[in-house]
Amino acid sequence: MIEPVVAQTPLLPERIADLLGIDGLFGVVVGGFLGAFLIGNIMLAMTGVAGPWAKRKITAKFTDRIAVDRVGPFGLFIIVADAVRLLSKELVVPENVDRPAWDLAPMIVPLSALLGFAVIPMGSGLHLADPEVGLAYVFGVAGLASVGLVMAGYSSANKYSMLGGLRALAQNIAYEIPLVITGASVVIFTGTLQMGEIVAAQQEALVTLGGVTIPSWFAFVNPFAFVLFVVANVAEVGRNPFDTPEAPTEIVAGYQTEYSSVYFVLIYLGEFLHIFLGGAIIATLFLGGPAGPGPAALGFVWFVVKIWAVFLFTQWLRSAIPRVRIDQLIEIGWKGMLVLSFANLVLTAIIVGVIST
Amino acid sequence: MSLEEPAPRDIGVTEDGLDYDALAELVEDNLLGREEHLNAEGFVIRPDEVQDTLETLKTEAGFDHCSCVTAQEYEDRYESIYHLKKYDDPTQELSVVVPTDKNDPTSESANAVYRTADWHEREAYDLVGIEYDDHPDLRRILLPETWQGHPMGLDYDQDKPQVATLAEHANPLADTHEEAESDTMFVNIGPHHPATHGVLHLKTTVDGETVADVEPDIGYLHRCEEQMAQNGTYRHQIMPYPDRWDYISAGLLNEWAYARAAEDLADIEVPEYAQVIRTMGAELCRIAAHMLALGTFALDVYGDFTAIFMYAMRDREKAQNVLEDLTGQRMMFNYFRLGGVVWDLPEPREEFFEKTRDFIDDLPGALEEYHDLLTTNEIFQARTVGTGHLDPETAKSYGATGPVARGSGIDVDLRRDDPYGYYDELDWDVVTEDGCDNYSRVLVRMQEVEESAKIIEQCVDLLEDWPEDERTIQANVPRTLKPDPDTEVYRSVEGAKGELGIYIRADGTDKPARFKIRSPCFSNLQTLPEMAEGEYIADMIAALGSLDIVLGEVDR
Repeated sequence: MIEPVVAQTPLLPERIADLLGIDGLFGVVVGGFLGAFLIGNIMLAMTGVAGPWAKRKITAKFTDRIAVDRVGPFGLFIIVADAVRLLSKELVVPENVDRPAWDLAPMIVPLSALLGFAVIPMGSGLHLADPEVGLAYVFGVAGLASVGLVMAGYSSANKYSMLGGLRALAQNIAYEIPLVITGASVVIFTGTLQMGEIVAAQQEALVTLGGVTIPSWFAFVNPFAFVLFVVANVAEVGRNPFDTPEAPTEIVAGYQTEYSSVYFVLIYLGEFLHIFLGGAIIATLFLGGPAGPGPAALGFVWFVVKIWAVFLFTQWLRSAIPRVRIDQLIEIGWKGMLVLSFANLVLTAIIVGVIST
Repeated sequence: MSLEEPAPRDIGVTEDGLDYDALAELVEDNLLGREEHLNAEGFVIRPDEVQDTLETLKTEAGFDHCSCVTAQEYEDRYESIYHLKKYDDPTQELSVVVPTDKNDPTSESANAVYRTADWHEREAYDLVGIEYDDHPDLRRILLPETWQGHPMGLDYDQDKPQVATLAEHANPLADTHEEAESDTMFVNIGPHHPATHGVLHLKTTVDGETVADVEPDIGYLHRCEEQMAQNGTYRHQIMPYPDRWDYISAGLLNEWAYARAAEDLADIEVPEYAQVIRTMGAELCRIAAHMLALGTFALDVYGDFTAIFMYAMRDREKAQNVLEDLTGQRMMFNYFRLGGVVWDLPEPREEFFEKTRDFIDDLPGALEEYHDLLTTNEIFQARTVGTGHLDPETAKSYGATGPVARGSGIDVDLRRDDPYGYYDELDWDVVTEDGCDNYSRVLVRMQEVEESAKIIEQCVDLLEDWPEDERTIQANVPRTLKPDPDTEVYRSVEGAKGELGIYIRADGTDKPARFKIRSPCFSNLQTLPEMAEGEYIADMIAALGSLDIVLGEVDR
């Protein structure tokens, strides 16, 4: 067993409280609130860049186009233009929608993703909380999104939404299990669910080849688990080849068919946040979290680079890979991923058991 | 029983063409008379024995392709013409003419013999007003249910406003088709939907994710193309319309359909040089059309605007640039004239040849890329192989032609079987695939692009070496064309989507008395329920994409 390492740096709320010179319960509350505000805004800003601008630019590069280049340098001001456009649109409420479920659904989706970031160590001291059940918590809140999707699909009074909601639910159940089981195989290595510990466990060197030190990131220790996890994650965030819940050419836009204006923005925001949250979990579990060359203060930069790499990967898939059919998707989930993830778990347990005895 | 000799299917076939007397003998009980059409002989038969006659002709004389049903009204009678052909040899043609009484225009439906007659007869009922006994579902097909009168009838008043009550104008999609005890759900796919390639409405009943029933509802893009052609003069006023049928850059192919029919009707000989230019232009159009078909099919299977779609558009763009140089237009070419083409190749000719050759030379590389991204992709194969199954017999019964028929292993291509233009002088192959599924149809289109490229390459070589003093681009055609009264012709060409046929009846004036368009998409779309029922929604969408319909041509 790897010795638990005590987190060297204090968490963000404590540091804010220290900085403001407030202590006690009040300090924790103020620090926690300001810290959450900071982290939430960082993630939302990243989504703001990703949605209206980066996504367009990236897919354009993949598909031989130019994309936004008229407003501002590199078309960057399209973010502002799009924000104004989307927020000033009329919010159309269809006649038979089931309120308040219909109004709550677009809020649950981004909320569940934002909650997940609370326990992610982002480096450079940006770490809100480090509970002992960190990993279980993050899977739990991320899974809440399914509730939002089903609410959206069911309450929209639209048959396409209904089909999309059902697809989303079936898909999330089928891929949530392999995702968690594969995550658990990392826990066997670390012996803890605490995110800070999981990152700390990956700091040692694995091997040194010709002067290049390869750290013991779990992506290198157990590449099989890494691949499984990345695939399950793509299904969780519903991107090609697993974008069946939205499948524009089949069911128009799935569960989000009836949403417009702000609600549409919220759902989309939620989807992008989930891609980034997926990236954050992958980075934390398999890519050493904020670790990277240079001083520890650069941690956040490395962290951002890693989650953007995952984002880039999903966009690449989206541009180049066909979508599987719903029955194939379910089959891959239950007959393939589930079996493989359990095999991985058992093998990991045996290997770790053999090494530690 | 299985040892019984199969019935002879070739009565009337001789070495010098069809022996119509033998065929007439076959159906003599039902025969009222015989008439001459320019393309084939017309058998006038009793309106109450249509099924019997057609069944005999199909089983014993081998006419397995009911290419089109033309309906028209004369001063003294109504008439439905069934244009019969054979898939093995489309030059063996026969028109079965069914006259019906002016006061009670009812004849027997051919639906029991040729499934394709279903829609064709509905159209005849809708536009002309002939009724068909035994038809399973005789409703209007192109016009709304509330329409009053039959607009291609002789006594139809074009100026009379259509009056329909407010209740009748109620939203036709409003009915939810909900039944308390039902396990299925009714979904309107379209008329506005990302995958319907235009304004197509699929009335779909789904059982979970499986399609239990689907019924295409067309007519949203009906623009009275036949009527407009009947109001135009042969010489110049009709030619711009064909560009607007299959408007996905297949314009020259459509123009050729009209040119071929009208040139036969007026007995115009097209100079060889113009034929070569026509052949080259038509194949460029075919490449452009197939590229779009490929791109949009990928869109249906992949999802969003993915790489393969943009790559296909990029290569289609190159074909369009060449076409623009040639015709001055990117889509609505209006380049053909009766008796030739409107102008010669653009000057300097070398530059045009070089540009065309560059395009042809780059094509294999591009196709390689498509094969990498598309046909060799395992997910793509998992999605398309074995889905959207259309067996050859069903395809024939529905009158499917073009890549849809060839994807079901039916070896038919009018460019080879009923040669026109310069095709029989050139070296190229007809592509068929036996898979009968979505994958085969995609493969057929991709290989046809290669074949078209071969044809263009040979045409460019020919045009380059053509002696300068023999470059005649148009035959001498009178200013006003007035074909002899009561001449009738049905001629078809191989359009991008299949057999594109035109029926024209002349009445001695400079405008056609009846102008009927046989659209390949119209017949191909009829096969969708056969392919989709029992499969997943996603497969139905893929099947629809693989049919490559253009609603402008379906609805006309």
